[in-house]
Amino acid sequence: MMIDVNAYLGHFAFRRLRHNTAASLLALMDSKKIDKAVVSSAGAITYRNPQAGNEELAEETKAHRDRLIPFAVINPFYAGWQDDLKICQEDFGITGLRLYPKWHNYSLSSPCCREMIAAATERSMVISIPIRVEDNRQRSWLLNIPDIPLEEIVELVKDHPKTRFILLNGLAYTGSPLGRKDNGLPPNYAIELSRLSALLANEIGQLIANLGAERVMFGTGMPFNYPDPALLKLQVLETDEPDKEKIRGQNAAKWLRL
Amino acid sequence: MTILQTTLDSPQSQVRVSRRTLLRSSAAVVLGGIALPSARGVAVGQSAPVMSSGPQPKGKVIDCHAHLNHHSRLTWEADDRKLIEAADKLGIDQLCCSTLTPHWPATLDGFRECNQWTADGIRRFPGRVLGYCYVNPGYGREALEEIRRYIGDYGFIGIKLYNEYTCIEPVVFPIVELAIELGVPILHHASHSHYFVEDQPRLTDGGHLAELARRYPQAMLICAHISGGGDWEWTIKALRHATNVSLDTSGSGTDQGSVDMAAAVVGVDRLVFGCDSSMTAGVGKICGADLSAQNKEKVMGGNMMRLLGRRKA
Repeated sequence: MMIDVNAYLGHFAFRRLRHNTAASLLALMDSKKIDKAVVSSAGAITYRNPQAGNEELAEETKAHRDRLIPFAVINPFYAGWQDDLKICQEDFGITGLRLYPKWHNYSLSSPCCREMIAAATERSMVISIPIRVEDNRQRSWLLNIPDIPLEEIVELVKDHPKTRFILLNGLAYTGSPLGRKDNGLPPNYAIELSRLSALLANEIGQLIANLGAERVMFGTGMPFNYPDPALLKLQVLETDEPDKEKIRGQNAAKWLRL
Repeated sequence: MTILQTTLDSPQSQVRVSRRTLLRSSAAVVLGGIALPSARGVAVGQSAPVMSSGPQPKGKVIDCHAHLNHHSRLTWEADDRKLIEAADKLGIDQLCCSTLTPHWPATLDGFRECNQWTADGIRRFPGRVLGYCYVNPGYGREALEEIRRYIGDYGFIGIKLYNEYTCIEPVVFPIVELAIELGVPILHHASHSHYFVEDQPRLTDGGHLAELARRYPQAMLICAHISGGGDWEWTIKALRHATNVSLDTSGSGTDQGSVDMAAAVVGVDRLVFGCDSSMTAGVGKICGADLSAQNKEKVMGGNMMRLLGRRKA
């Protein structure tokens, strides 16, 4: 089973997205033989009130829960986030979160964020964090949102050893403790591969060697990205078939309890 | 050359050749416009079913934007080999390479040794590496002599310009005029961001290239890496009417719709496939673009072949 842990629905404020409805994303997934995808609201990245995006997402995915796994976007500095978290899990059946600390202007180490992560962990929710949304060099003149420094993620995973994190849209983990062998960090995070190299520097191969294939997950970033580069990485990756199966979907299935 | 032959004689090379054959089928899949096959059930060394599933590519696959490694890098030789191995895996037949200096602006000695190393790369990987002559236009006569030498004597296929000057500065014009005389393309580093890029104050963008193209309608210009990080929608629109500028699809970006928009706005005949070292991104975005098999063939190599075919004797 192929599971994409890095997909989106809805509109993004700064660029038109194609294949951004449930029906069109499923058609794209069918054409690429991707069985399931974890999706969150692209609109919620820039909505002031992200819960509106979660409501749209819940409605859009309602008839497709066998294949589309919704994750909620929560901003721990926005009024009522505790209510939103409760509604997302108990009413919408959402099992995980996506956090945008740079876009929503808060620190991962702030008390509010810690409180939210603790609450989500209490609810057994997985927390995914896109290191970036898009390449900052193509940013709009309206804003300048940096990537999340990996040092901040190091502190995050240390501070929340019982929480499960999936890191999306990142690279250069091998230059950080996150991607090093025997790094002393809790094994509570997995790394998604859409921006990692499978050739030349072959960061995916290095992460498999350093952390184990259990810690790497397939993801595309669609519909922001073409899914094909990520699929191609899996195809050319030099590792054995059991490892590829873990990356393709087994790891995600285990984490998401599918 | 000797390195490649040594490699091919090694037991490992048999695996690599077989893998290359497999991944030529990936290129065939690209060219065939068929969805990339799921990797499910396809293990390394068990690739034959995938290989036989797609049509064979009819034309060459040419990466229009590649780089060999500067020799100050300790692992340059191994890294150059990795580039060729990656090309093997992805079914890329030829790579149009330059070697760049690690610091800019490039000095005369700096770009001269880079071009020597590119010529050496052509010898080490015969038939696989094509050379761009890289110069800093600020060196005037010496830069022109360098281009004449490497295109005339060493068979380089074009000129690589980086960010030493914006392409519309008069110091660049003699280079463009020489390229027209020789009938070779200029691959020009370019990007457009909506802020001043402090470390590249003379960065060229698509608008500059469009202006240069109007001044020199006979020039064959290639706008580098439209997926290289800047606002690709801006770049594509800026180049719509610059019919003698081709757009290189390379860059680390894999934004859905970028290749499709480029094809729709400037026409598929003006798109040339490249990786600029982002190998799976480069091939994958062509895989994903909603183009016919015939049009993918043009992008993957046909259009570049056409540009290279305009070289004058």
